[in-house]
Order: sequence, then C-alpha cells, then structure tokens
Amino acid sequence: MAAELKKELYGGGVGGEDGKLSTDPEWADVEPVVLQEPEGALAAIAYPDDYAEAMAYLRAVMQAKEHSPRCLRLTEHIIEMNPAHYTVWLYRAANVFALNLPILDEITWLNEVALQNLKNYQIWHHRHLLVENYHPLIASDPAAISAFAASERAFIAQMLSEDTKNYHVWSYRSYVVSKLGLFDDADELAAIEGLIDKDVRNNSAWSHRFFLVFSNPAYATPGAAATAYDAGVPAEVVDREIEYVTGKIRLAPQNQSGWNYLRGVMVKGGRKLASVEGFVSEFVIRLGEERSEGGKEGEGEEGEGEDVLSTHALDLLAEIYAEKGEKEKADLSLRRLGQKWDRIRVGYWEWRRKCLEVGA
Amino acid sequence: MAAAGPRTSTPQRRRPAPAISSPSSKIREIEEDEGEEETDKVVDFSHARTMAEPVIPDLFTQLPPVREGYLTDTLDVQLETARECMKFLDGLNTREPLVTRNEHGVPKLARDRHVRFLHMALGNLPGGFLVADASRPWFLYWSLSALVMLGQDVTSYRDGLIVTARSMQNDTGGFGGGGRQLSHLATTYAVVLSLALVGGGEAYDVIDRKAMWKWLNSLKQPDGGFQVCLGGEEDIRGAYCASVIITLLRLPLDLSPESPAYTGDSNANLFTGVADYVSRCQTFEGGISGQPNVEAHGAYAFCALGCLAILDHPSRSIPRYLDVPRLVSWLSSRQYAPEGGFSGRTNKLVDGCYSHWVGGCFPLIEACLNGNPPSDRHRPGDGDGGVGRVGGGGALAADGPAATATTTTTATATATTASSSGRGGRLPPAEDGLFHREGLIRYILCCCQDTTKRGGLRDKPGKGSDAYHSCYVLSGLSSAQHQWELDDEPRPPLAESPAETKDAETSKIPSDQDIDPEAHLEAVWAVLPYLDGPRVFDNDDCVRPIHPIYAIPQGSVRAIRAYFGEKGQGVVL
Ligand SMILES: [Zn+2]
Repeated sequence: MAAELKKELYGGGVGGEDGKLSTDPEWADVEPVVLQEPEGALAAIAYPDDYAEAMAYLRAVMQAKEHSPRCLRLTEHIIEMNPAHYTVWLYRAANVFALNLPILDEITWLNEVALQNLKNYQIWHHRHLLVENYHPLIASDPAAISAFAASERAFIAQMLSEDTKNYHVWSYRSYVVSKLGLFDDADELAAIEGLIDKDVRNNSAWSHRFFLVFSNPAYATPGAAATAYDAGVPAEVVDREIEYVTGKIRLAPQNQSGWNYLRGVMVKGGRKLASVEGFVSEFVIRLGEERSEGGKEGEGEEGEGEDVLSTHALDLLAEIYAEKGEKEKADLSLRRLGQKWDRIRVGYWEWRRKCLEVGA
Repeated sequence: MAAAGPRTSTPQRRRPAPAISSPSSKIREIEEDEGEEETDKVVDFSHARTMAEPVIPDLFTQLPPVREGYLTDTLDVQLETARECMKFLDGLNTREPLVTRNEHGVPKLARDRHVRFLHMALGNLPGGFLVADASRPWFLYWSLSALVMLGQDVTSYRDGLIVTARSMQNDTGGFGGGGRQLSHLATTYAVVLSLALVGGGEAYDVIDRKAMWKWLNSLKQPDGGFQVCLGGEEDIRGAYCASVIITLLRLPLDLSPESPAYTGDSNANLFTGVADYVSRCQTFEGGISGQPNVEAHGAYAFCALGCLAILDHPSRSIPRYLDVPRLVSWLSSRQYAPEGGFSGRTNKLVDGCYSHWVGGCFPLIEACLNGNPPSDRHRPGDGDGGVGRVGGGGALAADGPAATATTTTTATATATTASSSGRGGRLPPAEDGLFHREGLIRYILCCCQDTTKRGGLRDKPGKGSDAYHSCYVLSGLSSAQHQWELDDEPRPPLAESPAETKDAETSKIPSDQDIDPEAHLEAVWAVLPYLDGPRVFDNDDCVRPIHPIYAIPQGSVRAIRAYFGEKGQGVVL
C-alpha cells in the first residue's frame, strides 16, 4: 500500500489548522449532531471541547451510515482520547470491512494502540472481529496460517511482558488457538512453558496449558466438562502432564496453581488420586503426631510434631484418604488445616469434614 | 495465640445451635428503615466492652505458617501486599487522624465521608471523566446502590435519573453509555437497576419494554449466550445482565423470528441454553471463566451463579450445571490470610471488589446446599435437589467414565455430566458458613476505607477510592454482615414430574423450557443479621442487606416486579 493512501487511513488526523473539525474543509459538508445533556442530568461530564466536537461529527456520520477514510481517521482521533468507547470501536470495524481494507494493516495499527492501552478491552474484541474476517482468506493456506500465528504470538508475548496475567490477552490467546487450530503447535506449548519457567505461580499460563492439552480436538471429547473424566485423552498425555506438574510443584510446594493443575490432570485422566499419594506425602510430615523426631512421647499436643510444607498437599491428601476409605485420617487432615495450617478457610474445612460423614 | 479471638483460636468449637430454627416464624426481614434499630435488640456484645486492649487474632497479624523461599514475581507482590495490609489490620498504623477503632481494633465505617464521596460521583464530573463517557450508567448504579446500602434515601435523585436514563435509551431498545451510543447489556443492566433503586411508576415507565424485548432477542445467540451489544462480544456477563433485565421487567421469554437463535423450535425461548453456556464456563479449577476455555475469575463466578439462581431454585440449578464441590473449593481458596479479603483468581492479590464478586457467591451457594428444609431434605423424588459430587472427583471418574457428553443436545449432555455422579452422596448443608466473615469484615473496614477526607472505598491500601469499589466493597460488607435463607417455593416445578426418580442418570432431564422462571423468583429470601462468631463491628457500622441475585434491596426487586406483574407479561407483545 502506498504511503499516501495509508496516511489517508492511518495517522492522518482530522481537523483544520487550529485542530478543529469545524474549520476543516474536508468536514465542511457535515452538520455535527450536538447533544445537550438534559437539565438536571446525573453524573454529567464536562467534556473537553475537542472531544465534544469529535463526538458530534461522529454522531452525524454514524447517522448517515457513512463509511469512508475520513470516518476511519475520526474514530482513530476519538479512540486516542477515549479508548473505552465501544460504540466508536464497532463503527470503526464497520468502516474497515465496508472499505475492504487490508486486515493486516489494521492489525498493525491496532498493535500500537494496544500497547498504549494495556487495560483496555475494546481492542481485543476489535482484534477478534478482524481475525474472524481475515481467517477465511488464509484458511486453506497452512503457511499463511502459521505465519499469522507466529505474528500473533509475538504480539501477545509483547503484551504479556507488560502484564503477565492480563485477562483479556489470555482470553484472546485462547480464541486464537481455537480459531487457528494451534493445539499441536510446538511453539505455543513452548511459549507457555517459558512463562511458567519465568513465574511458576502464573495461573493464567497454567490455565492456558490445561486448555491446550485437554481441549485438543485431536483426542478430547467435544463438550466434555472441564472437571470431568475424558476417556479420549491418551494415557501418555496424562503421564506427561503429571510428570511436568510434579516437577514444578517441587520448586514451590505452596503454589496452588500447580496443585490445581495436578488435580485437574488426574480427574481428566480418570486416575485414582491415590496413585500420587507417595508424591503428595512428601509435603506432609508426621501429620497429627505429638512430637517431632527425637522428642519425648506425651510431651506435646496433637500436631505439635508435624510439619506441613504445603496446605494444598494436605488438602489433596485428605481426598486421597477419603478415596481409600480411611475416613479418620481424612478427618484429621481437614482438622489440622482448620486448626493450624489454613485457618482463614476453617469454615470450608469443617464443611469438608461433614462431606466425609455423608459421602461414605 | 494469646491474642486470638474466639473463632480463630478455637476453630473446632462447636457452634451453638443456630438462633433461627424456622424461617417462617423467626425470620424478620431487615429492609429499608426498620433494620438497624432491630439489630440492637438481638445482638448482645456487652462482654466485649470489658476488654481494654484491642483483640486482634494473630491470624490477621502474622504471615501464614507455610512459607517458601522460591521467589517469583507473584510471591514478591503477594508478600508485599500482605505486609502492607498487616499495617492496617493490626491497628498500629495510627497516623490516620480520622480513624477511630473499636475494642476489636477495627475502624468504624466512615459512613458520612463515604456518603459525601458518592453524592459527588452523581454530581457534575470534570473533563477527566471523559474516559467514562461510555460507562456513565455504571456510575449511577454504583453510587445509588452504595448510598442505599449506607442507609440513604435516594428518591431525591429520581427526577434526575429519569431524564438521564431517557437520554440514554435507544428507540431500538436498551440503554447505551450515553445519548446516541449503542445499547449495551452492561449499561442497560446498570440503568434498570438504578431505576429500580429510586423506584416509582414514573421511573419504571421510562423503560420501553417492547423495544427492550426485541433488542434482547437480537443479542441472543444460538449457543445459548448473549452478545453484550449488537456485534459485540459474547460472555457470561451478558448472560447475567440479560437474565436480570428479563426477570426484573417481566419480559416475555418468547423468541422472536428475528433472533439469531431462532430455529423455529416452538419450545425455545430467551433462556434456552443459558445454563449450558454457564456450565461450559466452569474450568478445571472449579471457578468460572468469562467465556469457555479461559482462566477462572471471581467476577464471572458471581454472574454464573446469579444466572443459575434466576433460571431455577439454586438447590436445583447449581448442582445440575456445575461441579459444586470444585466450585466451593475454588471460592473458598479466594480468601487469604492475613489480609482476610478475597482475590479474583488463583495467585492474584486480594482486592476489595471481590468482597462482592466472590463474597456474594456464598449466599447463593448456601441456598444451593441448604435448599430444602431439613425435614424434607431426603424426601424421595426431589430430583437433583442437593445432589452433587462429594470430594474425590478422581475416584468417581476412575469408577467408570462419567458422562462423556457427546449427545446431540448440550442440555442433556451437561446435565448428565453434573448429576450422574450422585452416587457420591448428598452434599451437607453449609450451616456454619463457608467463608471467614470476621476476616472479610476486618479487611473491608481496616484496608478498604479511604482514610482521608476524600472518603469512598477502595481495592486495597495504596489505591484510590472510586464509585465501583465503594459499591462492591459495601455489597461484600453487607453479605458478610447478614445471613440469607431462601425459602422453598410451595411447589417446586420439576419435582412433580412422573419421570423424576431418585436415580438421576435414568431420570428425564428437564429441558430449559420446562423451567418456570417465576416460581422460585417469588420465593422469599429471608435475611437476618449474622450472629455467630465474634462480631467485630459496631451496630452503627451495619449496612443494609441487598438481594443476593439482583444486588439491590429485596424491596426494590419486589416493587418493580410487582409493577410489571400487574401490567401483565402479555402487554408488550
Ligand atoms: Zn477491584
């Protein structure tokens, strides 16, 4: 695309020499639609003049259903002032599609806007609409798909380097994986492992990994609930994930992300929780015992000799004991959580004890 | 441990029998004006007056017993936040001239300053607020709702609200963020709730219900969810906002042929597939994501439970569509010590607004678990009521593949997934409370109040107060201070079905259209001040209760529903 044409669409701005639309010959044919707040309106905003003027022109062109390069530039102008304006974004998308603009040019422009507005989420829906329109053009070309996947991944990485748990970015990432079919893309899994290596407590990364592994249409049963067994998942995949996550738990045993993931994997794979009892027990030492090693019997109170390296391990251990029918040990585990190791959740641990009573 | 309060130091202590045995006989509703005086009579905390030194349990003044040394960014900010909060929790942070603490070391609710802050938010806003141009209705709802919880009369805002709301409504249905903006479910939700808060026929009549119904039809999607605006994203917020709007305005559920979800199936309606959509948003952690396949997040948990509680009595709808034990585990994990507040996701920081998004889930979960009165909790033929999975999901799965959900209608598939494991037994009721109320109240009153003249409530120490946090922190305080109980409606609509048997796997799974959306909505949410455990706030620090689903006072819900009920549902078509 020629640079001139681009300027007509991107970065060209609006307004005459004084910056006002009213003095810009390009807009002379438009009668702005000025809105007066009704008398006594609540939470009325004293809009700055340039914003109020731009909105008045926007109303006019929206009303006329105009789609043109100048409209596109007007939306850019407003988005710079107020990126949270969903009406403006949707109108912009309508312009992009009506003018049949190259989607990748719009994405390039959007990257800049996104980096300046990390918390904004209108940009992500806009991107979603662009991808919905772009995808059919490249769907039959694997090389184009993988090139696009790589560029999206690079952009996502840049966004996450600013905020590793940005919910909108991760939602978009999940969408891109589904849309472009990236479940078996080694780079996608490697990118996630990189983020987990950087911060093993990044729960967004763990959640995305779970989605990548257990929603892979190559084997996952469509519509299977996230918390239910899925016979379609191969045993090797389950083994690989158990191996992976147990290694990460050893690094940081009190990291709940790892434990939630482990439990999720076990359930998906239909494994008995007791099959990881040995591993889980590493983090719970002398549960309920009165004395530490070498101490004298009868000197301490219940639990004085115990050590718990992870409350989440003790939680899982309670479930393992329940699964094995060892109700007293399960009950002891839950009691110790409420009494000492995780007191803020005592109400929950007590409820879990009642679950033992009714559940056997 | 010497400084520990009763609940904290002796967590095993058996609670005295609940003060309330029969909802019908003893439960009084605390609404609007009668509330606070009555509270004085039933709560006796004179024993606490004898203590000279503030009693602050060590749970809130020390880091948790399990420490680890492997530092990452997440742990760094977590420890930094916990230490910062401890300064506010332990009462030693005395360089706050405007803060008075009670004998529990808990600051008073700075009611007057918050009220002033909220009145400001409803007044004229400076140009810097232009970024809120598309969310002005939220400011109306947050401020009015917070004022109501603080005991203020907001009817003086009625006229102003009426003209404001009119200026935001579109002829094609719904309300935008401002004049000539696209209608959006979030802004429409905020306007409708605001009108309900100020109340009165003139306010209700602002809403063009016929256009609203048409517009909602245009947003309804074939997969059961709702787009938030025409051409906008689809997420669980949309489903919750739509469900609230439909039931408050008593719109017909009919699906119009213009709806993208219309298939010609005469049984399909606006609620068809909503519960399945919600079900698909539950994640492996047990929490709920905004859209399927994303991380579990507190705000969406509330939207999910709100939706299900609107669709049917929570004791039926929640276990039918969600894995309740996993959900409860995840919700409970959101509360941290020493902070006492809730986080929105695993390994994220506490934030005052989750006092509502997560804290507000507990009344709905309790209604789910305590659904049937004890006498007939085991009555035969009550379908899925109270049934759910008990612990050991792995064990259940290993016994044999649970439903693999490959059937043609997702409704059947999901319902089977959720209920087929009934063999695990019933879930026990949650009479003793599933979260630490004292902890949440301490977090709110110690950490979430702006301690300067500015007033208002906030995310956490170091953050500025705003209308959003003021609203949701107070909602959380309200749910922590009260106890809700949902009376069973006289005739559960699904229990009478002859096909309903004790074995959920072979029973007919009721389709969405069998659900009578009204019966359970007419059931009364009975509310009482929460009386168990130590009470660390003063009587005059009580805020008003709000409806657990609609997040406005129950009287406001009843009034607007009665108004449109009298008009009759058929009127708009
Ligand atoms: Zn917040």
